Amino acid sequence: MKRLRLDRCAGQLLVARPRTCSSPATHVGSGLRSARPSQQFAHSTRSQSTAVAFSEPLEARQLPESHPQTLWDPRELPSPSPERALRSAKLAALHARLSLPERIPLQTLARTLVDASADENPQFNNTNLAFVGQTIMNYHVAEWIMCRYPRLPMTVVWEAMKGYAGNEVLLQVAKSWGVESAAAPGGEVDPGLLQFNLTDNTQGVALLGFGYRRVEAKNSEKYQWRRGIANRVVFDDDFGNSVKVTPGTEAEAEDRPITEEDPSYLRYGNEDTREIAERAHAYFVRAVVGAVYAHCGRDTAKAFVKAHILSRTLDFSRLFRFKNPTVELATLCAREDFEAPVARLLSETGRLSRTPVFVVGIYSGKDKLGEAAGPSLDAARWKAAMNALKAWYLYSPGENVRVPSNVLENNAKPWSPAYIDMGEIISR
Amino acid sequence: MEVQLVRRPAASCCHHALLLSSTSSLSTPSTASSQLRPLIANGLRGTRQKSTASRTKRALNIAPHPSFLASPADASNPATASGSHIIFNPPSSAPSVYHTPFKFLPKSDPRRRANLTASLFASSTTIKFNRDGAAAAAIAEKLPLVRPEAPKTYHLTEADVAEMRRLRAADPLTNSVSALATRFNCPKLFVVMCCHSNAKHQEEMAARKEAIKGRWGPRKTAAREDRQRRKQMLLDGLL
Repeated sequence: MKRLRLDRCAGQLLVARPRTCSSPATHVGSGLRSARPSQQFAHSTRSQSTAVAFSEPLEARQLPESHPQTLWDPRELPSPSPERALRSAKLAALHARLSLPERIPLQTLARTLVDASADENPQFNNTNLAFVGQTIMNYHVAEWIMCRYPRLPMTVVWEAMKGYAGNEVLLQVAKSWGVESAAAPGGEVDPGLLQFNLTDNTQGVALLGFGYRRVEAKNSEKYQWRRGIANRVVFDDDFGNSVKVTPGTEAEAEDRPITEEDPSYLRYGNEDTREIAERAHAYFVRAVVGAVYAHCGRDTAKAFVKAHILSRTLDFSRLFRFKNPTVELATLCAREDFEAPVARLLSETGRLSRTPVFVVGIYSGKDKLGEAAGPSLDAARWKAAMNALKAWYLYSPGENVRVPSNVLENNAKPWSPAYIDMGEIISR
Repeated sequence: MEVQLVRRPAASCCHHALLLSSTSSLSTPSTASSQLRPLIANGLRGTRQKSTASRTKRALNIAPHPSFLASPADASNPATASGSHIIFNPPSSAPSVYHTPFKFLPKSDPRRRANLTASLFASSTTIKFNRDGAAAAAIAEKLPLVRPEAPKTYHLTEADVAEMRRLRAADPLTNSVSALATRFNCPKLFVVMCCHSNAKHQEEMAARKEAIKGRWGPRKTAAREDRQRRKQMLLDGLL
């Protein structure tokens, strides 16, 4: 994990109002849950910045007189009350470990740790922040992938999106931040622990995903209907997955080796609990991005995404799967007016032995497109064709390629069009 | 089939050691010629048969390639003057897929312009610019094809295809795919693309295939499954 000095990025904002909103929020914490005023931010109108500016100092805001302060038993609350955030050592440590700017109050950080399955009230769980965070994170990852590897097929783009901002990966990010989860959510647990409900997945408003819910989703899940690429681009989420209606499909339930009656099913975890945990951790990371955006603005959020998400290494050459690599390569050469690809034997050893090695190169005219070694002539030829196709798909204009959001920076040079490929070679 | 010699440090090193051993044994007059002959013959043929274990061990104990040895200290070169230097002798490896071939670079890419100058001066006798690339291109033409294919002829007309379909529909057993391919002088794939046999014949063929598979033993069945799995793994990029 890269340590990022966010206070430097948003220095001009911090100098103006350091630590504005952390202390007053203690007043907000102890009212009636349903009638508690949510934090209202008046958005600024500055054209080149999305930083939040406050219309009035928060100290001036008081609870309405109609809601007298009541002492609540913390065990009655679904999640810890916000005023306890200031006394949590874990939360302060997390804030410091992530080098978050002081502008982000501990109460907001505590709220990012409450999943919708723990607390249904959207004013106290992280759903809103996670939604903002995922749009920002996915936008930055997607624009970077598009500019860095402009020729990738759509399926590989989705896999790369999953590799950077998918649930499984964000679970690892959250773990690397040192976030631990509570065994069960409740008002009495430490606010520095991630809270989600492992057992109660079907009831409540546990989030299954953001996005368009297909009309035919139920049948599509049941019968595993085929969804084309163009169809998925329009209707599905940023990773090419349709938004689920039910937590687990019936087909999956039948395949399960262990049944719900088995006591070890819930005690030691299973595919379902794994999925729930991944989702909760992922929404936490997204909510943190959303919180950075809400409190510190666009540039800081981008820097945060760059430092924690885009700085991770992903080997794009391992995301590919082919069906007919030789046919695909021939189609590519025909499309681009290259000479038809020809496989030539570069070298070989032990042709009559048990373990021969053939090195085959694929040539188009005089140019070598790809090369590979294999235990048989056919295997080497297929592999060489796959390497040639990967070399085509993994073309990159450069390592430090400009992305469209760069023009939003101060004193940015005007945008020069990025390289865009004409499209997929074959339909998948 | 033409066999290409791979030039690698280890190969040349073996060759070097071989020559050394043969010349040294030749130069000693006391050695019996009867012992000499099999040594040279074995060495040249490349077999490792020796009469005793110690001789085998001695024969296999070859000197390392000069690039692995510390070169004599050169006073003019500060790197080797002290006698401490880094040996960089990487094994041969497949080229990275992240290196886009020249042909795949788009027209707008600046690397294309840089490489164009190289190819422009490739045939020049005065300017020595990227000669290796030009040599490699010349060699590429001479390399043997993995699958020599006859040039496509496109000699079949629409009437021929209709005739092919009629024959196949009339008697699919006699006019099998391979028989039609021979008769019309075209690849089997083309026959399959043109005509389908009726469902009854397809069922019969499938049943026959199943019967043949049923006669296979466990080894053959497993070997076939493994082969298919290996191919799938290759296409998935796991091999």
